[in-house]
Amino acid sequence: MSRGDSETLFEIRDLEVSFDVGKRGFFSGTRKQLKAVDGVSFDIRRGETVGLVGESGSGKTTVGRAILRVIEPSGGQVLYHGRRGDLDLAHATSEELRAARAEMQMVFREGGLDLAPLGPRALRPLRSRMSLVFQDPYSSLNPRMTVRDIIAEPLVAGGLMRDRGQIDARVREIAARCKLDLEHLRRFPHAFSGGQRQRICIARALVAGPDFVVCDESVSALDVSIQAEIINLLKDLQEETGVSFLFIAHDLSVVARISHRVAVMYVGRFVEYAPTESLFFHPRHPYTHALLSAVPEPDPDLPFRPERLQGEIPNPADAPQGCRFHTRCPFARPRCAQEVPDWRELTSDHYVACHYAEEFDFRRARETAHTDPVKEREPT
Amino acid sequence: MLTVENLTISFRTDEGRITPVQDVGFSVAEGRTLGIVGESGSGKSVSTKALMRLLPGNAEIGREARMRYTSKSGEDIAIEALKPGSRALRRLRGGEIGMIFQEPMASFSPVYTIGNQIMETVRLHRGLNGTAARDLAVEMLTKVGISNPGARVDQYPHELSGGMRQRAMIALALSAGPRLLIADEPTTALDVTIQAQVLDLMRDLQRDLGMGMIFITHDLGVIAHVADDVAVMYLGTIVETGTAREVLKSPAHPYTRGLIKAIPRLDRLDARLEAVPGDIPSPSARPTGCPFHTRCAEAIAGLCERVTPPEVRLAQGRRVRCHLHDETRAVA
Repeated sequence: MSRGDSETLFEIRDLEVSFDVGKRGFFSGTRKQLKAVDGVSFDIRRGETVGLVGESGSGKTTVGRAILRVIEPSGGQVLYHGRRGDLDLAHATSEELRAARAEMQMVFREGGLDLAPLGPRALRPLRSRMSLVFQDPYSSLNPRMTVRDIIAEPLVAGGLMRDRGQIDARVREIAARCKLDLEHLRRFPHAFSGGQRQRICIARALVAGPDFVVCDESVSALDVSIQAEIINLLKDLQEETGVSFLFIAHDLSVVARISHRVAVMYVGRFVEYAPTESLFFHPRHPYTHALLSAVPEPDPDLPFRPERLQGEIPNPADAPQGCRFHTRCPFARPRCAQEVPDWRELTSDHYVACHYAEEFDFRRARETAHTDPVKEREPT
Repeated sequence: MLTVENLTISFRTDEGRITPVQDVGFSVAEGRTLGIVGESGSGKSVSTKALMRLLPGNAEIGREARMRYTSKSGEDIAIEALKPGSRALRRLRGGEIGMIFQEPMASFSPVYTIGNQIMETVRLHRGLNGTAARDLAVEMLTKVGISNPGARVDQYPHELSGGMRQRAMIALALSAGPRLLIADEPTTALDVTIQAQVLDLMRDLQRDLGMGMIFITHDLGVIAHVADDVAVMYLGTIVETGTAREVLKSPAHPYTRGLIKAIPRLDRLDARLEAVPGDIPSPSARPTGCPFHTRCAEAIAGLCERVTPPEVRLAQGRRVRCHLHDETRAVA
């Protein structure tokens, strides 16, 4: 991390998001509610990448969007600690920029600003402080805009810059940082490959110098050889700009590589949140353990013994009582079906929601003898 | 049981001819699994679709292509010579060679129950009718681990979860009793815990039924645990083949090496990932010579971009298409 090491950027407290899922009967008028996110609490530090993993329907995308206020939370707080005066836009010289800055400072207060109750107008000046990179780089770029206009859009829409020359300079700078060919700025997105498109999306997300970017399955659609490059790029950009990422993905090995801390979600709740090393090598929740054991590693010598979970992931509209994992947990006891486990800090910075976490010690082997077969056979 | 040689497939498109598969050869033995790995555009799906003769109308299979399949009754079938719509071809599809696709929702008909669709297959390929067909459908669903099969058999595909649907898809493919199963990214759309269940199931079934299997995936982790042999594809050619263990442990082709280094692994968190430089070229702009030379760090100037590398045989039946391994190169 480059700066402001342990400074908190976001505090999320008991975040809840529910969706209406259609009426029960035509005349009854009672709506059924689906709690996609049910009481999630965690914090995100400045310059940090928080990984969020979970299987489909766990609510990980919803958490990311609720923090950005793309969707409305139905409960809880999203406290945002703004940068107060230190905007970190590379070219913070223009009048417009200063004005935008002053406007934003007004809404930052001691103790953080709760985004959850803010209306669209109040959120407006904050929009350029946060951004989103989507999964599919094919559908998230407007085919009728040039790459230059796509990347410039947040600056224009946020009213951060008005001078064309200034915008061009900023676009060129961020494009170069994202390893895009400056010649390409005049072209349209259809001319680009998946990896190049994702670099355009990243440039667009970072052009306004945000504090926070949600990457929602941003490398999942890419081929392995391209994926590695995007992961490295995101890491470098974080080093340079101090931006925080919420990195949402279902692929655990990708998340492990990019995140400082990782949260595991299961049917609308967090089950574990810990620094990457301790989560991956010393998980405390049976679900985290099962998830990790199910990842096949590309090494035929490593035994592949996935923890056999019974049954399927429950439907969030019909979530189990007590601990939500108890229906599939190999260690479930009667208490698990009745009492919701507390979200507690088991050891320093290691949070878990399990009644019996103290008893579990699922240590995972690190790579032992470090012989790299690839290097050994290098032809001469 | 299946041998493919010199398979070249090209498509006529508005932008001209593209050749997504060039001179591909592989074979599958009874009871063994061939894993085909490759990234997008490598031609791994297209080449197996050719085996079922399921290519679209604008596709052409090259004249030198040979696809030999030995049927259950022991007769040799030249797949490339079968007439479209012929009885022999229909018997081959499903009855001899079964197929499982990535997205089960797209391969089931939404307007018939799961049972109906399995029973149709059973009727066509096994000549069973009425209760006998239904009993077999229930038996197949039980075999793939679907709970309460007696009730599930009357449900529609949309009533099942993703993992269930993929199990039902496997039951459907197996109900015709194929000798060879082609699985095209069967677990890619599934969550990891469900993927682990389905992989387990497929391995068990293959062992019990002694089928040959072609398993197509982009995930080398999956390959390491299901495949006996592996073929690595890049831009329509097989760059390397061998046993899965050999290829993953000591990859011979620079592309395979790059791919393995680029995979993030869970037991090594600290090291920086080594990306394969550059982008995958589009199939319409296929590089000359070795298709990988544009991204290869070890490319030999003046050779790799001009000359298509020959297939070089290495120890233990491994084969690689790379000039670096070609000892006759200096002489030539």
